[in-house]
Order: sequence, then structure tokens, then C-alpha cells
Amino acid sequence: MLAEPKLKILAEFISQFNKEELIWVNGYLSGLVSEPLKVTPAISNGANGKKITIAYGTETGNSKKLATDFASKAKKSGIQTKLVSLDQYKLTELPKEEYFITVISTQGDGEPPVAAQKFYDHIHNNGFKLPQLKYGVLALGDTAYPMFCKTGEDVDKQLQYLGGQRIADLQKCDLDYESTAEQWFSTVIQQLQTVKTPTPVIAAPPAETKKLAGKLYYDGIIQTHINLTANGSSKKIYHIELAADGMEFFSGDSIGIVPENDSLLVDQLLQLVSVDGNKTITWKNETASIRELLVSKINISYLLEKSVKHYAAICGHEIAVGKTDLLSLLKQYPLSKPALFEQVVEGLTQIVPRIYNISSSPAAHNGEVHITMLRDVFTINEQEQTGLCTQFLENKKEGDTVRFFIQTNKRFRLPAPEKDIIMIGPGTGIAPFRSFVAERDSTGAVGKNWLFFSENQFTTDFLYQTEWQSWFETDTLTKVSLSFKNGSEHTVSLADKIVTQGKELFEWLEQGAYLYLCGEKEPTGKAIEDALLKVFQTQTGSEASGIDYFENLKKQNRYAKDLY
Amino acid sequence: MSNNKPSPIEKIKTSSKGLRGSLQESLQDEITGAVREQDHALIKFHGMYEQDDRDVREERAAKKLDKLYSFMIRLRIPGGYMRADQWVAAHHIAGNYSTGVIKITTRQTIQLHGILKHQIKPTLKDFNAVHLDSIAACGDVNRNVACTSHPSESPIHEEVHAYADKISRLLLPKTRAFYEIWLDDEKIAEYDETDPLYQDRYLPRKFKIGIAIPPNNDVDVLTNDLGLIAIIEKGKLIGFNIAVGGGLSTTHGNPDTYARLATVIGFTAGEEKTLKAVYEVLTIQRDFGNRSDRKLARIKYTLDKMGVDAFRKELEQRCGFELEDAKPYRFTERIDRYGWLADDKGNWHYTLFVENGRITDEADVPLKTALLELAETGKLIFRFTSNQNLILSEIHPEDKSLIEKILQRYGIIKRDEAISALRKNAISCVALPTCPLALAEAQRYLPSLISKMEPLLKKHSLEEENIIMRMTGCPNGCARPYAAEIGLVGTGPGRYNLHLGGDREGTRLNTKYREQLDEEAILTELDKVFNQYNVSRSQHESFGDYMQRAIL
Ligand code: SRM
Ligand SMILES: Cc1cc2nc3c(=O)[nH]c(=O)nc-3n(C[C@H](O)[C@H](O)[C@H](O)COP(=O)(O)OP(=O)(O)OC[C@H]3O[C@@H](n4cnc5c(N)ncnc54)[C@H](O)[C@@H]3O)c2cc1C
Ligand SMILES: Cc1cc2nc3c(=O)[nH]c(=O)nc-3n(C[C@H](O)[C@H](O)[C@H](O)COP(=O)(O)O)c2cc1C
Ligand code: SF4
Repeated sequence: MLAEPKLKILAEFISQFNKEELIWVNGYLSGLVSEPLKVTPAISNGANGKKITIAYGTETGNSKKLATDFASKAKKSGIQTKLVSLDQYKLTELPKEEYFITVISTQGDGEPPVAAQKFYDHIHNNGFKLPQLKYGVLALGDTAYPMFCKTGEDVDKQLQYLGGQRIADLQKCDLDYESTAEQWFSTVIQQLQTVKTPTPVIAAPPAETKKLAGKLYYDGIIQTHINLTANGSSKKIYHIELAADGMEFFSGDSIGIVPENDSLLVDQLLQLVSVDGNKTITWKNETASIRELLVSKINISYLLEKSVKHYAAICGHEIAVGKTDLLSLLKQYPLSKPALFEQVVEGLTQIVPRIYNISSSPAAHNGEVHITMLRDVFTINEQEQTGLCTQFLENKKEGDTVRFFIQTNKRFRLPAPEKDIIMIGPGTGIAPFRSFVAERDSTGAVGKNWLFFSENQFTTDFLYQTEWQSWFETDTLTKVSLSFKNGSEHTVSLADKIVTQGKELFEWLEQGAYLYLCGEKEPTGKAIEDALLKVFQTQTGSEASGIDYFENLKKQNRYAKDLY
Repeated sequence: MSNNKPSPIEKIKTSSKGLRGSLQESLQDEITGAVREQDHALIKFHGMYEQDDRDVREERAAKKLDKLYSFMIRLRIPGGYMRADQWVAAHHIAGNYSTGVIKITTRQTIQLHGILKHQIKPTLKDFNAVHLDSIAACGDVNRNVACTSHPSESPIHEEVHAYADKISRLLLPKTRAFYEIWLDDEKIAEYDETDPLYQDRYLPRKFKIGIAIPPNNDVDVLTNDLGLIAIIEKGKLIGFNIAVGGGLSTTHGNPDTYARLATVIGFTAGEEKTLKAVYEVLTIQRDFGNRSDRKLARIKYTLDKMGVDAFRKELEQRCGFELEDAKPYRFTERIDRYGWLADDKGNWHYTLFVENGRITDEADVPLKTALLELAETGKLIFRFTSNQNLILSEIHPEDKSLIEKILQRYGIIKRDEAISALRKNAISCVALPTCPLALAEAQRYLPSLISKMEPLLKKHSLEEENIIMRMTGCPNGCARPYAAEIGLVGTGPGRYNLHLGGDREGTRLNTKYREQLDEEAILTELDKVFNQYNVSRSQHESFGDYMQRAIL
């Protein structure tokens, strides 16, 4: 939560306090937090009526929502404001910017949102300086991820490195970002209103206590757990139905699940290092037995570089950082004494949530959450392995309970009922579209619906085939375009399909249709976006106009994608 | 209960634009592996049946997957005669597009199962490349013409056998739909599709023709709608006895349906008259056949409705000549001549046992691989028998040892010699899992039942007897169980009606002896009757004849 050095100072400082004092300090600090942060005056440049640009980088829409609030607030306070999404932002503008506010989230393992990648790369290719830039970064993140707000941190650091000047400290926000963000921004506005050139606002640490409120967990009971693919398929794709009370979600949302490690594996591991699993330790403010923590909290299946480095330091070996898990490390580079194990654990990170698109509709599936999960198999030195979460869920049975939270996806929503939609969902990418069409079916939405889907074999891998068929027969589903490899090399890929049907697809869009893409980034996701661009270029007549057409769709929020 | 409202199929036929229907559109429907409602009936005329794997219906439903639709393709192979290179092609086509199993049918042709909708065109194109097609192999038209298969049966076998092909071509529908839809041939503008025989209504029902050369009735000629019995005098083929009205199918609980053997109504001399008579028998069935109730639409019902004499008169009128009275003939047996046999020209033929006609690589004998190697020698012809067996035919004396070696190497000769008489004479239909009409297992079950019967026969020292046993999964009778000495007709899972008393040469139907037997009951009943037969039969009396005389 705090940058390493600051954390160190704080740690040293409070080490002198006893418990009572700590509690007092705690109260004092939270008192500080709730007060508007103090602003220290500095030299004037007499500038008035300032221009401010608010740029957001979002994946699921939170940053956008905040940025938009900010923009309207700023305008109200008489500040000339420009609001822009980072993928629309003209990078050449940057050196000319005066006040530049970035609201940006972190995705993947500490990666920028897809829409912010260009901007992120641009500023890191430090070919230039930004001397008069005055900036502030609001970082969205989730403390459930080891690299909390990594992207925000990077952007903040980099802009400074390029000569930019903070008007506000980097503010990191957990999932309960609203109030923290509010506060941060109102102080920024105060700043701009004071005639003086501002000196940085001090950011508040993400408040521990509010954290839980940020993420609402549900205990879902598995109603149905089936493998959708038939005998002879090379894949296992599970359809899992979860029922829980008080859930609120929309078609397009996802759920997050924090998987547990296999307890047998943990025992094997503890035995290897001959450590008593029952010993209680405190790890990242959690106090429990080592075994418990290793099972349900600590990531041992796929270690981050930093964990591996940490391990290397402890066992004093040169270890090439690469994809590996804890057990392999312990086997390959044994620890000299059991005591070291606790140090190793210190350097490990928490198990991060896995996200699954909800494939059920609130209206059609009486509030149940359904997911469509591909069993993730990969091979490490000729050994077939299964991904942590997919293994975890595969082993669950009907009646078992699974903890999850709802990951809202504001950018991936159904349009007005009368609008047409084109859904491109290769593989498990079909999940949200089952939700879409089911929702439209049971709410009697009149818009046309066109589905693109691809998988390996028609006979074994056509996900939810009978449901699509009945929606097709009842005209809820207007058109279907499918692509199956069927074990032959010369098959028409989904991307090809899109190109060959380009004319009709374009006509739909011309009549105002909304376009959606969901599924795995590699390889299909990319190929399909290229195909779409190609279609727009042929239909509009030129490369440039095709690009513009695509950009316009995005601007009008008529193109939404959820690639993973 | 035949009201006069035409059956739905009639409308589909007349409005099919020459059997085209919406087949082209059906092929474009990506969301399903099936064809559209009406095309379901039409595709049969192109030699295909839409089926689904009944074993996996429930499982797939739970997985939200549609039925596992696929298509069975039945080739048109008049008289069951196939060139070696055609077999090689069939072998590879089966491997590429179907389950891989090649099924020899009870009408001397072959079927491939499990062909997916998108594979139909490639399959038919590949067959077409070796001049094989499936036109009219199914549907309300004349089906594959069957003919006594073994060349050594008579010096004029070749001459008789040629009729199978002539008749088949004479009775083909005129529409070019098959070529347009499956082979992407261009529409030929000037081609006239008007069809004087089938018009736009085709026949009321399927129609089957068989040709037999006495004394062997291996084709079961009298079970056909129209049977031709070759009459030979002084070594010359003078003409055919015409037998009309055969048909075996019955429907459980429908007393109006019955199995019937064809009635010999006369004789026609020479090719011209014979073909004319054949043709007009079809036009009579076309005009008089029942088009409202498909269960009563076969020619056997048409004939019984008209009466034999009226039918003969109508035929003579249409032919423009009188039929001569039937010539005497005699059937003495109904078997395949296993092993090596030479014909009068000195060519050799090896008749090979194929259990239930299923050609695949079994654990004991890799039959499919063996046949490929044999075919690749190019030194033989394939002939399929009505008992679902195979004759490696037309082998010149100088090639015999080569073929013999291959047969030995694959252990085929050894295996054939070891097979019991009962098994050699038994046939069964396809039934589960592909046949939608199956009530019980047949070809997947019969082999194991026979294994349990063999000890019984041994016990009553009947193991040498050529008893003819046939099993079907439903009363449609695809393995002609009503024309067997022991007929087992499926009534439900694991249950069969036991029919006894048919004769060995196929001129007398059997009678239902016991109903709804499970395996144990079947074996106890048979044990009883085998015992009685063994102790109280008269000399040379066949099992069927004994049952007819003593028990039924
Ligand atoms: C393959 C074959 C049995 C075998 O194991 O060899 C067969 C298989 C089927 N027969 Fe047959 N029949 C076969 C010879 C027969 C025979 C025997 C004969 O012709 O010598 C009969 C009894 C004689 C007769 O026609 O009366 C026969 C009487 C039927 C019937 C009853 C017809 C009727 O008059 O009611 C049906 C059902 C129907 O047509 O409605 C039928 C229908 C079927 C179907 C196509 C089921 C269907 O309609 O969907 C079966 C396909 C099963 C599968 O999965 O392959 N099959 N079928 C035979 C193919 C012969 C050929 O090459 O054309
Ligand atoms: C927004 C979003 C939506 C999603 N929607 C869906 C959905 O609807 N359906 C769906 O099926 N999935 C979906 N996913 C993917 C899903 O979240 C998981 O990423 C996926 O199920 C794999 O998780 P896992 O824990 O089973 O695999 P992990 O254990 O996380 O492994 C993932 C990959 O990491 C590598 N790896 C892991 N461990 C090791 C190791 N020890 N050594 C070397 N390499 C290793 C492997 O390449 C493996 O494939 C979505 C993802 C996102 C981000
Ligand atoms: C797949 C995925 C990976 C994430 N990885 C991180 C991460 O590494 N670090 C982090 O702080 N937050 C991470 N998050 C949390 C998001 O940053 C958080 O949900 C944020 O509110 C999203 O804002 P947005 O809607 O503007 O994209 C991740 C979220 C998802 C769905
Ligand atoms: S007899 Fe019945 S079960 Fe057997 S193949 Fe014919 S129709 Fe099917």
C-alpha cells in the first residue's frame, strides 16, 4: 500500500510505540484522513482561469466514471476542462498540457488497461521532456492483487522523471475508491483555485477499515456443475451455476473467485521443508496457522518474479526468474534449515482472484450466477498441469460452496432494447452473450441479435447449442455465424467469417448496431479486431477512413470488448 | 384405417421440384447438424438417412448439445458387384468421413454411417470419382436390385446378373438433383426431367426387385416386391418367372400388416418383354398403391386388394402382351458357398464370412486392412451377398496363390474354417445405435447369443446343421427374420419374439412361436425344441420343416 521507503520509515517510527499508543495514533491518523488535506502555499505565477485535462485509462469503467465526475465538478468550479479516454488521447498534446490529471487502473499482473497501453508505452520511451507539465495521478486498484495500483505508480513516477511537477501526490484507491477519490480531487480543485502554484497534496493511504465494504463476497452454492463438451472433445469447458442471496449484477458483469491451493500439495510442501503446519504466524495482517494460510491465502502455484528473487536471496542461489511454482523451487534449491521457510513465506504474494464472465441473465435465471469455464491446461517440462482456479473449481461438486465477488463491468452493457447487437464470442467468450440473449429474450427486447462463435469441433464443442437453437427458432437470435475446425486444416476461421460477411455486418452497424467482442486475447481476439478493421476499410473505401470508423464506434461506446 | 387423405410424404414429393426441396438451404444451416423437416424425407431418395446416435441422447441433452446427427449413406450397387479400385476408394472414404466401418447390407450393397452434414458432399464426390453413387438407394423408388451372387451357380450367371444393372438403370428417377446438389454440377438447361415412370409423385412406397438363379435362393427372391426367377433350358436363359407381392414388414399390434412371400404370376420370354413387364409392374403400383397409409402401401397390399388375376390382367394390358404360364423351377437351398470355388470358366472365387456384414479391423482378424491389401492387388472383384458376406471374385488361376497367401497371412482362412454352421448362416440387421426404429439390439447382440447357442447345438449334436437364424431389432424385418428357420424379432430392450418353422430354401414363412422372450427364455425354449428335433426328426428333415410338421 505504501511505497517501500515510506513503509520503512513508518515501521521504524511506530516500532517505538506500545499497543495503547498505537491505537491512539491510529485514531489520530484516521482523524487526519477525514479532514480536508492541508495545502502549503508557494510562489505565484499569477496564472488564472486554468486549463485542465482529465485523462482516464479504464478496463471495466470505474476510472471513466470517476474521471467524468471530476470533469463535471471541475467545470462547475469554473475550470476549463477537457475529458478524454487515454486511447483517444493525442500523445503529441502531452508537452503542451498545463494541468494533467490521470485516472488509471491496473490490470493483469500489474499491467495497464488495454486502452492505456499506448499512452503508457509512450511516456516510458522517454524520448522527450515535459518541463511545464503539472500533473496528478489517481490510481485504481485492488489490494487483493500483489501489485496494488502498479500502473498508477509507474505513470506517476515516470511523469515526474520526464520533468513533470506533481500538483497532488499519487492517490491509490482500493475497490472502495469513491470517497478517497472524491477527497483527493476536491483538494486538487482547491489547489487550482488558489492563485499560487500548488505544492503537492498529500495522499491518504487506502483506509483498511473500509476495504471490506469495497468488495462484497458471496457464498455461492453450486446448483449445477457440468462439462459442456461431449466425448471426444480435446477440451473441458464447465458450466457452473451458483446461487447466493442478495446478489446484484447486470448482464455483462463478471465474478471474481479466489481459488485455494490443493491441501495435499501444501502438506507435501510442509513435509519437504519439515515445518509444522499448525504453527500460527501473521502474514499480511492475517494471523492463522501456516497450513491454513498456505491453503487459502498464499500464492504458491505461479510465483511472481519478486517472490523468486526473494527466494534466491534467502537460499543464496542464482535463480533464473521464470515461470515456476514454490514446490519446484524448494525441490531444486533446498533450504538449509526449516526456519528459513517463514522468511520465504514473507516474500510470497496473495492468491489473486480469477475473473469469469457471468453467462446467466438476472431476468432469465432467477438471480443465479452462471459461469462458463475452460479448464486451463498447460505443460511444464513435459508434465501436463491444470491452472489453479480451474482445477479448484473442477474439483467442486454440486452442493459445495464457492466464495466470489461481483466484478462490475460498466463498459460491457446491453444497449437500449430496440438497438441491434453483434456479439463476437469465440470459445468461452460466448459466456456474456448467453447472458445478453437470455436477458433480451425474457425482457422481450425487440433489437436484432447476431452471434459469432468458434470452437474446435461442431459435434462436441458447440457451447449451449440447444439454447441458441431455441432462441433462433423463436427469432430472438436473428443470425448465427459459426466456425469450427472439425479437425481439418482448411476451415474458415471466425476472422475470415467476419470478413466474408463484412458487408452485412457493416450494414447492421450503419443502422446503429452495437458491437461486442469477448474471449481470449491470444490468438483469436487480436485476429478478430484486425478482421473488423479490414471490414471497415473495405466498406468505407480507404485505410484511413476504416480506422476512423473504428475509432468512432469506440467514441460512441458502440464497441465494447472484454478480452483476457 | 386408411382414410383417403394423402400421407404428408406425398405432398413433400410432389412439391419437391424434382427431389430438390430445400436441401441446398439445409446444407447452409450452421446451427444444426440436421436437415430441414421436409428434406428429412427427400434426402432418402438421394440414398441417405438422417440418423442420430441414440446411445448419447440423454448425455448430450444434459450438456445442452443437440442430438448427434449424422447421415448413413447407402450405395447403389446392382447385384452387389464392385471393382477392386472402387473398394479401395470406399475404404479410404469410410476412413475419412464415416465411422470407418463398412457395412454390407442384406441387399448386396454397402453403407457408411456417421457422416456429418458438412461431409456429405466430399463423400459423394469421392464416390463419384470412381463411378459409384447412392441414387435411389432409399426412398419411394426402386431400390438396389439384388441378384444371385456366386458366378459358379450357373454358366449363364453373367448373363442373368447383367439384368440387375439394366433394371436398376431402367428404373432410375430422371431428375438431375443428385448431381446438382451433391456434385455441384451445372443445371443443364436443355435436359428434360419429365419422368414418365415416377412422374412427380414417385411410388407410394419403397420398391424392391430381386433376381434368383435356381436352385440357390440366396437372394430370398420371394421376399421382394418383384422377384425374377431365371428359367434355364438346355443351358440357355429363356426368360423369367415373374413373382409379385413379396414384403416382410409387419407392425406390432397392427393386424392389417403382414409378411408375405411373392406370388409367381407368370413367365416372360426374352429381355425386351421381361423389362417391359418389370416396368409396368411399377406403374401399376404407382397408380393403385395406397398413398394415404404408408403402413399399407407396399405392393403386397396392392396385389391382395386387386387380386392376383386382376393384377395379371392389368399388367398384360399395360404390357400389350400376355404373360405365359409360369415355368417349373425348384429352390433347394439358400446359402453362401464359403471358401474356394471355381466357375465353369475356370476363374476362382473365395467366399468370406463377414459377421453381420460389418467390415472393420477386429482384434482377431484385421479384416478391413486385409481387404484393402487384397483390393490393391487389382486381381479380383468384390461381390456382396444377400447374407451380408463377401465373395472375392474373378480370380484367375495364376493369381489364386497370391490371394491365398494374403488370406492365410491375415488368418482369414483359418478363422472361416473355425466358424460354426449356425454363425455362417445367421444374419442380423443394424438396429442400435443408429437405427431410429430399433426396439432392441441386433447386430451388436447376435454374435454373443450365437456363442451361447453353439453349446446347445453341440449338446444335441446338431452343430453341423445349416440352420438359418436371423435377428432384427424391430418388426420391419430388415434381416428377413420371417423367412428364417429361427427368427428373432425385437419387441423391446432385451426382448424378442421367437419365430420358428420357416423352410431352408425360403419358400415358406415361419410362425410366431413365443413372445417377448429374454435371453434366458430364448435359450431354454431353443434347448427344448433342439432336443425334440434331434430325437424325433425324420431323415434329412430340416429343422424348419420339422418344427412346421411336429410342433406348430
Ligand atoms: C441396412 C439394412 C439392414 C442390414 O443390416 O443389412 C436395412 C436397414 C434399415 N432399414 Fe430396412 N434394411 C435393409 C433391408 C431390409 C429388408 C430386407 C430386404 O429388402 O431383403 C427389409 C424387409 C423386406 C421388405 O422390404 O419388406 C427391410 C424393411 C424395412 C422397413 C419396412 C418396410 C415396410 O414395408 O414397412 C423399414 C421401415 C420403413 O421403410 O418405413 C426399413 C428401414 C430401414 C432403416 C433405413 C431405418 C429407417 O428407416 O430409418 C434401417 C437403417 C439402419 C441403419 O442404421 O443402417 N427397412 N429392410 C438393409 C439394407 C438393404 C439395402 O441395401 O437396401
Ligand atoms: C476479464 C476476464 C474475464 C475472464 N472470463 C473468463 C471466462 O468467462 N471463462 C474462462 O474460462 N476464463 C475466463 N477468464 C480467464 C480466467 O480468469 C483465468 O485466467 C483462467 O481460468 C485461468 O486461471 P487458472 O487459475 O486456472 O490458471 P492459472 O493458475 O492462473 O494459470 C494461468 C496460466 O499461467 C501459467 N502458469 C500457471 N502456473 C504456472 C507454473 N507453475 N509454471 C509455469 N506457468 C504457469 C500457465 O500458462 C497458465 O495457463 C477471464 C479473465 C479475465 C481477466
Ligand atoms: C483481471 C484483473 C486483474 C487485475 N489486476 C490488478 C493488479 O494487478 N493490481 C491492482 O491493484 N488491481 C488489479 N485489478 C483491480 C482493478 O484495477 C480494479 O477492479 C479497478 O477498479 C478497475 O478499474 P477500471 O474499471 O477503471 O478498469 C485487476 C482487476 C482485474 C479484473
Ligand atoms: S429391422 Fe428395424 S431395427 Fe433393424 S434395421 Fe430394420 S428398421 Fe432398424
